[in-house]
Amino acid sequence: MAYIRKRNRRIFLIFLLPAMLVLFLTTIYPMIYAGYLSFRSYDLAKLFVPRVFVGWSNYAEVIGSSEFIHSLITTFKLMAMTLSVQLVLGVGIALIVTQKLPGMPLARTLLMIPMMISPVIVGLVWLFLYFPELGYLNYFLSFLGIESIPWITSTNWALWAIAIADIWQWTPFVMMGTAAALQSLSPEPYEAAMIDGNSRWDVFTRVTLPQLKPVLVSLMFLRAIDAFKIYDIIFVLTKGGPGDSTEVLSMFIYRQSFTFWRMGVGAAASFVSLVIIVVLITLFFKSLQREQHA
Amino acid sequence: MSAITLNNVIKRYGAVQVVHGVDLDIEQGEFVVLLGPSGCGKTTTLRMVAGLEDVSGGELSIGGRVVNDVAPKDRGVAMVFQNYALYPHMTVRQNMEFALRPMKLPKAEVDRRIGDTAEILGLSELLARRPAQLSGGQRQRVAMGRAMVRTPDVFLFDEPLSNLDAKLRTQVRWEIGKLHQRLGTTVLYVTHDQVEAMTLADKIVIMRDGHVEQVGTPEEVYGNPRTTFVATFIGSPSMNMIEARVDSGRLVAAGLSAAIPARFADKVSEGQAVTLGIRPVELKIASGDEPGAMQAQVEVTEYLGNEALLDLRVGSHELVAEVPADQRADPGDMIHIRLNEAAIHLFDTASGQSLAH
Ligand SMILES: Nc1ncnc2c1ncn2[C@@H]1O[C@H](COP(=O)(O)OP(=O)(O)OP(=O)(O)O)[C@@H](O)[C@H]1O
Ligand SMILES: [Mg+2]
Repeated sequence: MAYIRKRNRRIFLIFLLPAMLVLFLTTIYPMIYAGYLSFRSYDLAKLFVPRVFVGWSNYAEVIGSSEFIHSLITTFKLMAMTLSVQLVLGVGIALIVTQKLPGMPLARTLLMIPMMISPVIVGLVWLFLYFPELGYLNYFLSFLGIESIPWITSTNWALWAIAIADIWQWTPFVMMGTAAALQSLSPEPYEAAMIDGNSRWDVFTRVTLPQLKPVLVSLMFLRAIDAFKIYDIIFVLTKGGPGDSTEVLSMFIYRQSFTFWRMGVGAAASFVSLVIIVVLITLFFKSLQREQHA
Repeated sequence: MSAITLNNVIKRYGAVQVVHGVDLDIEQGEFVVLLGPSGCGKTTTLRMVAGLEDVSGGELSIGGRVVNDVAPKDRGVAMVFQNYALYPHMTVRQNMEFALRPMKLPKAEVDRRIGDTAEILGLSELLARRPAQLSGGQRQRVAMGRAMVRTPDVFLFDEPLSNLDAKLRTQVRWEIGKLHQRLGTTVLYVTHDQVEAMTLADKIVIMRDGHVEQVGTPEEVYGNPRTTFVATFIGSPSMNMIEARVDSGRLVAAGLSAAIPARFADKVSEGQAVTLGIRPVELKIASGDEPGAMQAQVEVTEYLGNEALLDLRVGSHELVAEVPADQRADPGDMIHIRLNEAAIHLFDTASGQSLAH
């Protein structure tokens, strides 16, 4: 920017100011404020009691709390359930919709609809489907002779119910990324394999998958970050219940902050999960770099 | 028995026909080159032989068996693609191994074949590299190696040299020729480069707009072109073509006239429109008093070392002569030339067919 003269530089900053202000108010300020809160005792019920500095005790409480550990485990469980299914389904569907068959471009577009819907709406739609007694899903399953499943009212099923809704919404994302990658692969090696007589399975596992790997890793990484933050669907469907069976990190933070009104603990938990995400990202990029150098 | 036979083979894409009834017989061990300008259907024909495109009509046989509906893998062919089609994430060795995988050979045999092939192609040092770590010429050799390890009955090449620079092209061309002599495998080779065709082919198939114009040895297509298209397509610089008319036993064109060579005497009729073809090397510099000498004005001289190309104006015709360099003239000079009568080609102008047959 050396070529921008001083006077122009001031104008330049003035134009940037509104955007910077919004960024500051919505992202940076809340983060700093949350950091501040995480070292304070702050009870929402006692608004006028001074917020006392409590050092690391909020953090200690979070890390030492079995509920926090449980929510962390639940988060990773849900992540494993959704990511594995989204990977297999997403790649499978991508393989189908990239075939040169009539109707495939249309199918590709229609399949993208779920990810364009707001997660709250997705939650509501699935709430209707899952509803005990009156839900559509059990109604349809009854035709198949399957007994009514207590989707969101049983501790055994609730996490799956959430996983299914998330899978429904986000498999298209994996499908779309994979389909784009598939279409960018050059066709000639496939023709060579066809002439040489390599089986479809060999071609898929030894030609297609290795070439898709970088894209699949990135897609899974993005999904993992999202899964870490999953909130809306759970809030609508189960609010973390029944019991604590679907209480993921974000629900734990929400409950601490707005149910128990312990803002300090909630803020500390947010920062702990932020650290976990940052560590994950760092490890991910390290491993990618290693791969590129290999 | 023929290695490959095409019998009135047709290719249609939807309503558009792009290959119109190709007939072709390829003998065992023959090196056959499909030659023609861009878009004439060479690749399409080759891909039909490979089985990558369906045959829309006619009959295609390989090794005496009709293969119209046989899967590519069961045709005993191997193909080398224009852009090599290597598996980018595999090493050179893995590329070859993958091609051998369907054959389910014992490990020792796989290693032996890859070792031998790498030896022949000079790839032994490169077996652990990926395609991205190879030069164009090396990739091209890997692509050939991947085809060779399978010891197919037929090799198919689609413009294998077109991505190489001129020098490398000459070298790899020479290597392909040597390889064919050594392996003796039937080859069907597509190119639009006549030098490749002339140097490599036992038999050249000249295609134009989805038709076969002429099939013959390099000598035949050069010395005896069947049509004006072949005559001008083969040879560099191109054959001079002069529109003429048969007039009282002579060939008459604007500003020049020539006797009808005896061998064409009973092939032409009075008043027929004919095209006279003469290669630039057959336009000789003459002295003014020689019979048949014609006056020509030199417009451009191109010095090539041993020879020189003269762009000449003879009457209203633009002709190119290729003369020994020491006989060259300067632009603006008036010189005399004569046609080497024995080398004259005559074509019927209306049909473009040679009158020599
Ligand atoms: N998939 C296709 N659909 C429709 N037309 C096609 C298709 N593939 C090729 N063609 C047409 O068929 C004709 C022959 O194509 P082909 O690729 O065989 O030419 P070529 O002789 O190999 O040319 P080049 O030297 O440029 O490679 C062309 O006119 C081309 O436009
Ligand atoms: Mg081609």
